Amino acid sequence: MTTVLEARELTRYYDVSQGFFKPAATVKALNGVSFSLDAGKTLAVVGESGCGKSTLARQLTLIEPPTAGSLLLDGIDAAKADRSTLKAMRTKVQMVFQNPYASLNPRQKIGDQLAEPLLINTSLSAAEREAKVRAMMARVGLRPEHYFRYPHMFSGGQRQRIAIERAMMLNPKLVIADEPTSALDVSIQAQVLNLFMDLQDEFKTAYVFVSHNLAVVEHVADDVLVMYLGRAVESGSKEQIYSRPLHPYTQALLSATPSIRPEDRHIKIKIEGELPSPLNPPSGCAFHKRCPYAIERCHTEIPLLRPVEGHLVACHRAEEINV
Amino acid sequence: MSLLQIKNLSVEFGSEKNPFRAVEGLDLTVDQGEIVGIVGESGSGKSVTMMAMMGLLEGQGRIVADKLEFDGKDLLTISARARRKIVGKDISMIFQDPMTALNPSFTVGYQIMEVLKLHQGLHGAALKQRALELMEMVEIPAAASRLAAYPHQLSGGMSQRVAIAMAIACNPKLLIADEPTTALDVTIQAQIMELLVSLQQSQNMALILITHDLAVVAEVAQRLAVMYAGQVAEMGKVPDIFRHPAHPYTEALLKSIPEHSKGAHRLSTLPGIVPGQYDRPSGCLLSPRCPYVQQRCRDERPELTPYPQGAVRCHFPLYDKESR
Repeated sequence: MTTVLEARELTRYYDVSQGFFKPAATVKALNGVSFSLDAGKTLAVVGESGCGKSTLARQLTLIEPPTAGSLLLDGIDAAKADRSTLKAMRTKVQMVFQNPYASLNPRQKIGDQLAEPLLINTSLSAAEREAKVRAMMARVGLRPEHYFRYPHMFSGGQRQRIAIERAMMLNPKLVIADEPTSALDVSIQAQVLNLFMDLQDEFKTAYVFVSHNLAVVEHVADDVLVMYLGRAVESGSKEQIYSRPLHPYTQALLSATPSIRPEDRHIKIKIEGELPSPLNPPSGCAFHKRCPYAIERCHTEIPLLRPVEGHLVACHRAEEINV
Repeated sequence: MSLLQIKNLSVEFGSEKNPFRAVEGLDLTVDQGEIVGIVGESGSGKSVTMMAMMGLLEGQGRIVADKLEFDGKDLLTISARARRKIVGKDISMIFQDPMTALNPSFTVGYQIMEVLKLHQGLHGAALKQRALELMEMVEIPAAASRLAAYPHQLSGGMSQRVAIAMAIACNPKLLIADEPTTALDVTIQAQIMELLVSLQQSQNMALILITHDLAVVAEVAQRLAVMYAGQVAEMGKVPDIFRHPAHPYTEALLKSIPEHSKGAHRLSTLPGIVPGQYDRPSGCLLSPRCPYVQQRCRDERPELTPYPQGAVRCHFPLYDKESR
């Protein structure tokens, strides 16, 4: 299996102005996250709003350079690549956004929008481009007459199909999907998720799937990375995370997810409060203020990601609390 | 007697000649202290039903009903002045997006107190005391200092708590929650749902929960109405519907949840989308998408028919195995 993507200690800080006379504060949006992803596999990144999921997604698309750490795409280090190599690398990474109402240009016909990646990045003729777009449209379940229509003439589910098709036009190695189904109804969500799975089988694309819906993640993911306030708190295969979550935060996330089947209903582990401000993160383990198992050590010492029972957990008491 | 009785409600938009029926022949009753879920895809008429009842469609939609009664008062013939006495006091509502439901130009304390001033005539220290009490009831930490906060200073979950505090300020008999947790994270969703249910029990309110998340309904509601294209497709008790859905649409909705097909590579789907204004079929509204469709479904629109566990709008309901 070929590794498509490797992130090593990926870190991104942002400076935020606090006002005229105050020094700028630093938000540690992403704090040393590492993982690797093979072709044809899906990594799901889960966590609450503000945990750094979207910053991670932005890093992976090479839109902005990391503050520290390195990103290897197809074996090439993005930090060491020159301009033309970077441009070639960017065509291998594509993105599907959350809101299909905002991610398509309302003034451009669908056919033109879909042909644009080809126009910019390939030397195909107009007729070849159109043929390729039409073939792909049929592949994602759009009708030929849709070619000349504008985005407002489509439903949310259809628009998301168009967005997915646009991402697949250049046959990328990696597609980053940032909450791709959270704006859709369940029946449409099922159609879109099926499309994602079918395209992956066909093109062996690797997916990074950012979501806070754990039911969706359980369906699509091979590996899961749970993030909290810029750090990875637990990572492992889907089976490991769902059958035996070790970090109290993962346990709380899973127990907060409502279920349609009474027998699957988890015992509610109540976590109090909300995600703390990333401007002023708590000392020690960032989760200690909401954690039911926090001890003195959690207040002072930042837990490192370490292997426990075959997957990685960042918790001082992972063994004690999971007897 | 039921707290809320809706019989044969229809809501039309557009011109008289070429109207669009967003809601068609809807029947719904809600008893005191009961949690009723309304689920359906976008465009199925969930929100329009509630807005019609609250009188929020004035000048836009035409509302026709055989009966629209709340707490013994006829909401169809009621004057606008009398309606204002009920809405916000006995019936109140929380909306999907807490950030836009609050006025950004006033403090949350002011906004909560406004409700109390208007409906309960409180003023001075008693007013402030009650506002503080409400903030504490919805478990907002450091409530006293938060009274002076503006909505942009609060997180989504906190804003939703403020919206709930405003909604329950006058001890309503009926609280309508329109997708109250859709914009929130799962952890916050769990907190808000728990808060709503505990308030519902302590205040003995009726709660109508509008959502497209079937799992949320499964956990809290007692009864459920499944809506499709402006009509009630199926109605019944929550455990019955989740165990044995009688309508093909309910079955398809349940099957399309990822949790339902654990381990399967593909999810089962319902092809197509909810029909809009111009493509409503003449027969059963689900007929173009239904996996069990027969000729009779294309010709004749079914009625909502009661059966022992509830009511279903289908010529060939799923419990009736011989008919298919």
